[in-house]
Amino acid sequence: MGFLPTVALDQPGKKVFLSGNEAFARGALEAGVAYATSYPGSPTAEVLEILSALAKTFNFYVEWSVNEKVAMEGAAAASFAGLRSLVVMKCDGLNVAFDFLTSLALAGTKGGMVILVGDDPGAHSSAKEEDSRYLGKLAHIPVLEPADPQEAKEAMVAAFELSEFLRQPVMLRSVTRVCHAGGDVALSKLQRINRLPFLDREERFITWIEFHATAETKIAQAAAWGENTPLNTYVGPERTKWLLITEGPCFYYAREAVVLLGWEEKVGILKLGMVWPLPEEFLKKHLMHAEKVIFGEEVEPFTEENVKALVAQYGKQMGFINFYGKKSGHVAGPAGPGLGEMNPDIIMQALKRIEEEEQGLPVPQEREESLVAPGELPNRELAFCPGCPHRASFWALKGALELDGRGGFVLGDIGCYTLGKGRTGYNLLQTMHAMGSGAGLACGFGQLSRFGFNQPVVAVGGDSTFYHAIIPALVNAKYNQADFLLVILDNETTAMTGHQPHPGTGLRATGEGAEKIALEEIVAGLKIPLFISDPYAVDETRAIIFRLLQEKGPRVLILRRTCALIAAKTKKPRVYVDPARCLGDACGCARFCSRVFACPANIWDEEKGKAVIDEVICNGCGVCASLCPQRAIVVEEAVLVS
Amino acid sequence: MGTARKLKKEVLDKGRCTGCGFCVDFCPYFKVVDERIGLIHFCGLQEGICYDVCPRTPTDLPRLDQGLFGRERRDPFLGDYLFFFYARAKEEEIRKKGQYGGVVSALALTALETGKVEGVVLTGGEKASFPTPFFARGKEEILAGSSSKYSAAPTLAAFHTARREGFTKIAVVGRPCQVTALRKWQVSEKETSPEAATELLVIGLFCFWALAPEFYRFLVTKVPPEAVLKLDVSETAMVATTKKGEILIPLAEIRRFIRPACEECFDPTAELSDVAVGATEFDPGWNTLLVRTRQGKELVRKALKKGLLELKSPLPQKVVALRQAALQKKRRVALALAQEGGAYLAPSQRYLAQVLAGEVDQHGLLAYGSS
Repeated sequence: MGFLPTVALDQPGKKVFLSGNEAFARGALEAGVAYATSYPGSPTAEVLEILSALAKTFNFYVEWSVNEKVAMEGAAAASFAGLRSLVVMKCDGLNVAFDFLTSLALAGTKGGMVILVGDDPGAHSSAKEEDSRYLGKLAHIPVLEPADPQEAKEAMVAAFELSEFLRQPVMLRSVTRVCHAGGDVALSKLQRINRLPFLDREERFITWIEFHATAETKIAQAAAWGENTPLNTYVGPERTKWLLITEGPCFYYAREAVVLLGWEEKVGILKLGMVWPLPEEFLKKHLMHAEKVIFGEEVEPFTEENVKALVAQYGKQMGFINFYGKKSGHVAGPAGPGLGEMNPDIIMQALKRIEEEEQGLPVPQEREESLVAPGELPNRELAFCPGCPHRASFWALKGALELDGRGGFVLGDIGCYTLGKGRTGYNLLQTMHAMGSGAGLACGFGQLSRFGFNQPVVAVGGDSTFYHAIIPALVNAKYNQADFLLVILDNETTAMTGHQPHPGTGLRATGEGAEKIALEEIVAGLKIPLFISDPYAVDETRAIIFRLLQEKGPRVLILRRTCALIAAKTKKPRVYVDPARCLGDACGCARFCSRVFACPANIWDEEKGKAVIDEVICNGCGVCASLCPQRAIVVEEAVLVS
Repeated sequence: MGTARKLKKEVLDKGRCTGCGFCVDFCPYFKVVDERIGLIHFCGLQEGICYDVCPRTPTDLPRLDQGLFGRERRDPFLGDYLFFFYARAKEEEIRKKGQYGGVVSALALTALETGKVEGVVLTGGEKASFPTPFFARGKEEILAGSSSKYSAAPTLAAFHTARREGFTKIAVVGRPCQVTALRKWQVSEKETSPEAATELLVIGLFCFWALAPEFYRFLVTKVPPEAVLKLDVSETAMVATTKKGEILIPLAEIRRFIRPACEECFDPTAELSDVAVGATEFDPGWNTLLVRTRQGKELVRKALKKGLLELKSPLPQKVVALRQAALQKKRRVALALAQEGGAYLAPSQRYLAQVLAGEVDQHGLLAYGSS
């Protein structure tokens, strides 16, 4: 064994600094994971990356699967064979895999199987903020939620054990703040479980109605397990009237708020490390004395609803309790109840408001200015990176649609190019839903000509998205002869989540070579007319798109250019504005480069009244040079970056 | 001055674009693909040269005439000119490649070889698909641009490219709408940056109509584009010459592809050019040549001196026929525009009266109706 990263140190008891995602990976190592799969998604994309780097050393299997459903199916198979398996995804991915998960929970598992799901409250790097806890409940599986990196590791190990005990998959829900936060983690022993994978001919994993009862029994067992897990904790006075029920990072927000208010002796904080099923006895013990119960949780009022139901169930023993949470509006996210992230400020203000209400003081209608957060940070517009091929692709697309003039439109998909809904993509996207939905919607629009519909339809989607979910839509388009143009924005990587490989890259998770499955071969196999262009060649690309808009039936155009962030690592030409050629505002271009094309590297020198390039962030693509009407932008010979 | 938005509204959206190509690539916002010109993004500027120079925005003809000829036009049908000749290139090689007498190539070559210009803006490419505008800088290139195209190539886009590359003495071979755009631009350029003025030589082409882009889609159904050696139009048909012979497409089938903008054209003979060249309508070995300006006269003189050109007198009855054809077109357009109230032209009342009421007598001269 050569050099090992911190996450893999075999030094039990040592405290190391790990991010939440590293801690999840560490937890999997300590639990003796044998099989790990994922489709990359923020905020959990790094977990499989970290495991990929360790797979050879620790002799387990890792895989970037083409989507979350196959990822989960693969992990389930390993579990059926008796191995411990992990599947990692983001909340949206759980929806993709959900059909399988609801079946799996009836059929059961064998080796410990953990489903790590990253929720993204506030949607930092997502299109929506979905609360996966509901899906865990719906699927009849236990849901654990850690509050910090240490717990992330502990919860991972506990989840494997619980899963193996229940013979049922266990969900580990995490949120962005836990995944990306760093903290001290005390290491435990790295476990090597040497099991021979085997599926006995007598063993069956069948989804059938009769196993609904089995699943309910398992959930009851899980609840019993939850009574004793150290993941559920309580801090505060023994018998308190004020009970704050929290989970995940909200535990820390709650503690900070209580400490800042100096109410440590007044407010007790109960933290659920297992959010479903509820540890009823543990909760009842603290609810029994409480008069005011406040919920600190992110996105939906999941625990609030469950606890209220629990209290109703045991009404006689509970006495009268006032509830404060999302439903009452006291603990609302910054944009309203059920929205966005929590923070200490929200919880502190909620506690103060409850106190003021009790004393009959007037309640301010507006939330006070932040009491703990620093001043406003400058806003940064969502934009494609400098040199991003998507910017050029969208500019070409816009031009082609305008030239065509029949009101053609663009259906979006999930990836970096989702930003095409905004100014950086010339506001082109008119729909944006789930992975592969652009092409799916295009199948629908593509059948409307029979009713007199005459608008050209374009669906865009990325290369990784193509393998993930576009293929079925494209097969459907061919089968039913839908009229649309599919533009595959091929940047040769899964860029949005950090450049993970996919079937078209010729690499697997561990970096070993794989046979490339080229986009064009799949399209050619469907016998759909196929064209390939370089988006940096804007004029040519615009012309190709324009011509393709005139055609009928399904058509595919691959716009292929390596992600600028990858390309700039090897070759980065210097690009600059020749001030002698730039005419400034006298040009008549109306500051095209900085104002309209709007690459972040194209900026305007107010003092000189001319365009300039921010050479620090420029990735040297040179597209702006080809679009400048004065040819005032100079691209120097590319220099190889070592 | 108008905005790009106004240009889109009044010209592009109404199908009045002639496809001249002046607005294309003049700024980053007008683009062309396959002879369809579009505004791909609103620049937001409150005034644009694009609107000023478009041949289908208000055009002050008397002022342009005055600027170019120093007087109001003397010939209401063919525009002002100094000489009316039949002409042909002396070199057989040039004649062979040309549509008729090869006069455009011979004159372009003269301009280039005498150093009058640094290059010539032309259209080349395949005979039966979208022509490609380019900037010819040698004899080979000029000959590659010879022979007629029947669609509206955005030739003037190449004029901008040439200027941007630093050329200041440029000849343009263009359709009447393109000639008008260039002259309108010259006026506006003189106003905005007189020091940067381009020395411009304009060889105009007779043009009664150009075909819309859809024509090429239609043509493919009649003849494989790569097989076409030459396209020509007779009185009754379009003639596609291939190695295997001629394919005739009745004009009736072609006419539906005429660009709407051409139905509104007032100028079939490139009235604002230095020289204008067209067919003789009876002898494919010769061209009609109208020498309009002093600069045009100088060019023809040099071509004769270099032995690149020969001239002869026109047939009087053919001169009459050309006048008649021009009058008919002008009258049709004048009536249509007057009805619409959105006339882009601002001809003088006297001139309009001539066009609407005048007749061409057997000598090809203007005569007024008996009333």
